[in-house]
Amino acid sequence: MKENLEILLLDDEAIVGNRLGPAIEKVGYDVEVFEDPKKALNRINEKEFDIVVTDIMMGDVNGIQILEEVRKKSDKTKVIIITGYATVTLAREAMDKGAFDMIAKPFTPDDLRSVIAKAADSLGYKKIIAKA
Amino acid sequence: MTNSLEFKSSFINNSEKKPALDTEGRNLLARPRFSLRLHILLLFILFSFLSMAIIIGSVIVINCIQKKISFVQTTERYLFYIEQARRWEKNYFLYDTNLEDAIQITGNAKTLLSQNLKKLMTVLSAEETANMIENLEKYRSLLQELTVLKKNGIVNAGKKHKIETSLRKHGAEMVKVAAALVYKEQNSMNAMLRLIQRIPIYCFAVVLLLTIFLVHFLSKRLIKPFNLLIESTQRIAKGDFSLVPPICRYRGEFTAVEVAINQMLKELKSHELTMVESHKLRAVGTLTAGVAHELNNPLNNIMLTAHAMLEDHNGLSEDELLEMINDLINEADRSRSIVRNLLDFARESESVSEPLDLGMLVSETIKLTLNQAKVSGVKIETQIQPDLPRIRGDKQQLKQVFLNLILNALDAVEKGGNIKINLKKADSPGFLAVQVEDNGCGIPSHILPNIFDPFFTTKGSGKGTGLGLSVSHGIITMHGGQINLETEEGKYTRFTVILPSRNIPADFNKT
Ligand SMILES: Nc1ncnc2c1ncn2[C@@H]1O[C@H](COP(=O)(O)OP(=O)(O)O)[C@@H](O)[C@H]1O
Ligand SMILES: [Mg+2]
Repeated sequence: MKENLEILLLDDEAIVGNRLGPAIEKVGYDVEVFEDPKKALNRINEKEFDIVVTDIMMGDVNGIQILEEVRKKSDKTKVIIITGYATVTLAREAMDKGAFDMIAKPFTPDDLRSVIAKAADSLGYKKIIAKA
Repeated sequence: MTNSLEFKSSFINNSEKKPALDTEGRNLLARPRFSLRLHILLLFILFSFLSMAIIIGSVIVINCIQKKISFVQTTERYLFYIEQARRWEKNYFLYDTNLEDAIQITGNAKTLLSQNLKKLMTVLSAEETANMIENLEKYRSLLQELTVLKKNGIVNAGKKHKIETSLRKHGAEMVKVAAALVYKEQNSMNAMLRLIQRIPIYCFAVVLLLTIFLVHFLSKRLIKPFNLLIESTQRIAKGDFSLVPPICRYRGEFTAVEVAINQMLKELKSHELTMVESHKLRAVGTLTAGVAHELNNPLNNIMLTAHAMLEDHNGLSEDELLEMINDLINEADRSRSIVRNLLDFARESESVSEPLDLGMLVSETIKLTLNQAKVSGVKIETQIQPDLPRIRGDKQQLKQVFLNLILNALDAVEKGGNIKINLKKADSPGFLAVQVEDNGCGIPSHILPNIFDPFFTTKGSGKGTGLGLSVSHGIITMHGGQINLETEEGKYTRFTVILPSRNIPADFNKT
């Protein structure tokens, strides 16, 4: 088995990746950060990630499409959706399509880390994540 | 006690609440009064005078003719007397009869002449009259001389013959003059009779012409205001609320209508302003969702950056720290401009006209809707021709127009739809055109005539207000422009807003 959980983080806001990448790496995950949804999709097709964190509203491709792609690829991967403005319909759609959880902007690194920890938990990784 | 006092004061207030007239209204009323009623009254008086003149004229002419007839009779009698005298004279020459009768009848003629001398003077010149009288007297005196000669029985053949020749001559002359006079007077009487025969025809012609003219004039006076009023109402229906011009130079029955219409226009204008305002607030509501999302992004960036700084403040290099601080500043800036853009639009403000860069205005408006578009998965493509001349107008109101068009387009397209917005020079010189095109449901032809009507909407209650296009139309009309539209059901809709430009390059005061 892999040593660390592998996470793909996608948001078309560069700063999100810039700040969250290190913040997640710091607590012992392997993170790949993407700004461009198309590149992220390519990467998803190449590799099976444990957790995919994606923004729901991006220029051409939206988070739901990413979720659908991931589902096609594997059942195991947990998808966490970042929403800007939580619309009820979108949230329901995401959950129906098998998203693991949602997190609403604005959030803190800790918020995301705890959601990731929950996902990791459900994936069977019992490793306790210490707060940085 | 208080009750009655209150009643009294409210009564006074009511009575003082005359329609508050503005300057236009007062100007309309200040014109000299010339009502239709007065028109008709004047015409009536004119007609009465005319008929009276005709009657008086006829009476005078008839009177003249009467006098003429009696004068003609007089001259005829005179002619008869002297002819009779000459008949006696002839008898004298043929049968040597008495001349007493001849003298007698010339005496009659003389009295007749002297009685009608005045009348005679009006028809004949003084000389002619004198001549006539002289002839008569001469004739008479010759007759008397002959009588004396005959009575005395003195037969002076030479003298007698001389007298007789002279008598014949004067007699003939006298008859000639009298006959000429009679003939002349008869002619003049006939002329008068002919004239009086024609008078009714002349009068009829004059009255007919006058009637035609008056009918024409009156109907013009009536129909022109009606046509003007109809024109005005049509113009008003199209949303042009400029005041109606004075219909005619004078104040009349239509003045009240004009004043009322102008007052209505004022009310309409102010209603439209409130409508624009309320519709704007509604649009702000629609936008808020999108704007909240938009605002969440920079806010999230600030939050994440601040937390990162808090967590790692010991281990950060100078450069990393600087980058984060810059991010913080930039994202705060971004939030500020989002909020400002929305507030710019939402703020209640007086309508102002200022030079505007339409390109900037359009892109700012698009920015307001970008997130709305993102939420519904719609792509907005923008094409703005650079270096266009400026336009003049109210920034907020124009933004509202483009916003309405974009929001309508957003409502019309399916997920994955496309909205194209482009700004360029219009085909007609001196105008700019903004096109908002969507590949949405299109507008069915049976509702096309209604979409600009206030409160017409096909969107469910709570979604559409039906005010967007009507308000937009009002705003664009006020800016001297127009909204055109092409659509095909199920395919596309393209609204084109045309606005007059001023010939100042858009970046005029950027330099
Ligand atoms: N781009 C468009 N595509 C299709 N229909 C449109 C479009 N724009 C306007 N309409 C029609 O015109 C109607 C009136 O629009 P509007 O005055 O903006 O009111 P509202 O949007 O509140 O319904 C809409 O209800 C819709 O039926
Ligand atoms: Mg609308």
